[in-house]
Amino acid sequence: MSHSLHRHGTARQLEKDYTFYARTSRYVNREGCGPKLRRILRILLEEERAVNFGSSHAGKSYKAGLNPDDYAATLDKAYGVAACFSDRDAVRSILGKLKEADTGISIVVSGLIDEIVKMAGELDLKPHTAFLSLGVHGKRALLPEDQILQITTMCGHGMVSATLTRTVIDKVKAGKMTPEAGAHLLAQPCPCGIFNTERCSTILEICRTSVLCT
Amino acid sequence: MKISPDACIACLECIDFCPMNCIVEKGDTVAIDQDECVECGVCLRAGVCPAGAIYMPDESMQYPRAIRAQFSDPGVQHPSTNQGGRGTEEMKTNDVTGRIRRGEFGMALEFGRPGTGARMTDIEAILKVLVTMDVELERDNAVFALLEEPLTGRIQAEFRNEKVLSAILEFKIPEARLEAVVGRLLPVLADLDTVVSWGLVSRFAEDGTLPVRSRLAAMGVPARPNAKINMGLGRPIVEP
Repeated sequence: MSHSLHRHGTARQLEKDYTFYARTSRYVNREGCGPKLRRILRILLEEERAVNFGSSHAGKSYKAGLNPDDYAATLDKAYGVAACFSDRDAVRSILGKLKEADTGISIVVSGLIDEIVKMAGELDLKPHTAFLSLGVHGKRALLPEDQILQITTMCGHGMVSATLTRTVIDKVKAGKMTPEAGAHLLAQPCPCGIFNTERCSTILEICRTSVLCT
Repeated sequence: MKISPDACIACLECIDFCPMNCIVEKGDTVAIDQDECVECGVCLRAGVCPAGAIYMPDESMQYPRAIRAQFSDPGVQHPSTNQGGRGTEEMKTNDVTGRIRRGEFGMALEFGRPGTGARMTDIEAILKVLVTMDVELERDNAVFALLEEPLTGRIQAEFRNEKVLSAILEFKIPEARLEAVVGRLLPVLADLDTVVSWGLVSRFAEDGTLPVRSRLAAMGVPARPNAKINMGLGRPIVEP
């Protein structure tokens, strides 16, 4: 999740897109982290509003069939636990519960800066460090269209191909695939579980009806 | 990755899944362009080949080619950092490691993201500039392990032409040098043959603000509205 800061879109397009990452440090607290990560996973999932979750060490995400209990059993020497949400209230609620749980594991939230800082203020949390995105530089002519970037950049490791995204958009526009089915297919290559299928469905629905999305 | 020409039935189902767009029709079969393939493994894990023709050959894990999977497949660890993904903890654990302190900014240049991939030579072009700028390169980083030492900005020769899905170069600067460093890097980045997603790590000020945002805006390089934020819940905390 070194890349979730670079999720593409305007502030409006990003307002229902948050990712969580509970991350252990190999220098500080990875040893014996299993019970703490399992507790964090329970907190993330008991909200019942997680869109997706997973991690690269598990090899697949919830949307690709990852079972929460099987996943929990893998967490003893894990880097961490990742999940994504569309609902700001869920994010705020989880942050409050994580503060109370006081596991000592680093918690990273990606999303709109001003919203996250506002939530932190409401919960009397003191954000420590920000990783800001200064955008994409270099040979930008190589980049695909805006709506494709909005979708592909939801996989932090770049596993979702622009070509597959374009094919899904074409099928949705032709009425051969629903936006939800398209989002589910596009989530498959992303093992970390931060591909937000709800946001993807929304983008595909906009593409379905827009003459500007080709 | 390779496709067995004997097993392939040319159904073309795998082609769309390749993030590098390097699976191509070749006569009556389909093949993977070995120079462009970054060994990310997406085509294999997609499970769409009805004939089981896609496989990872032994040479994919032999050096120097082995670094392709290390940088491109999040399930493969970097031997230099024992990390998966792109091989760095960066600021995710900064509340407990203190990797980026007050008075410093961290910089992270992710070459090849989003979706274009990058050659090590692309990274080298920037490294050669960075070593003249008195910046502190992050040693606990998977790219650093591939550099010639003493540092000249050159990648070790055997890795120079390898292609990866993306790779992150990290360094630190004193806060006061922000304008000089950004100003120097902008034209060099513009000349690259790939794309770079540029990130900046900053500590929050005591009052909970990020003063660097206004400095970046004044330089014409505004921070995007979204970011990754370490919430300060790690313990024991470094520099609360």
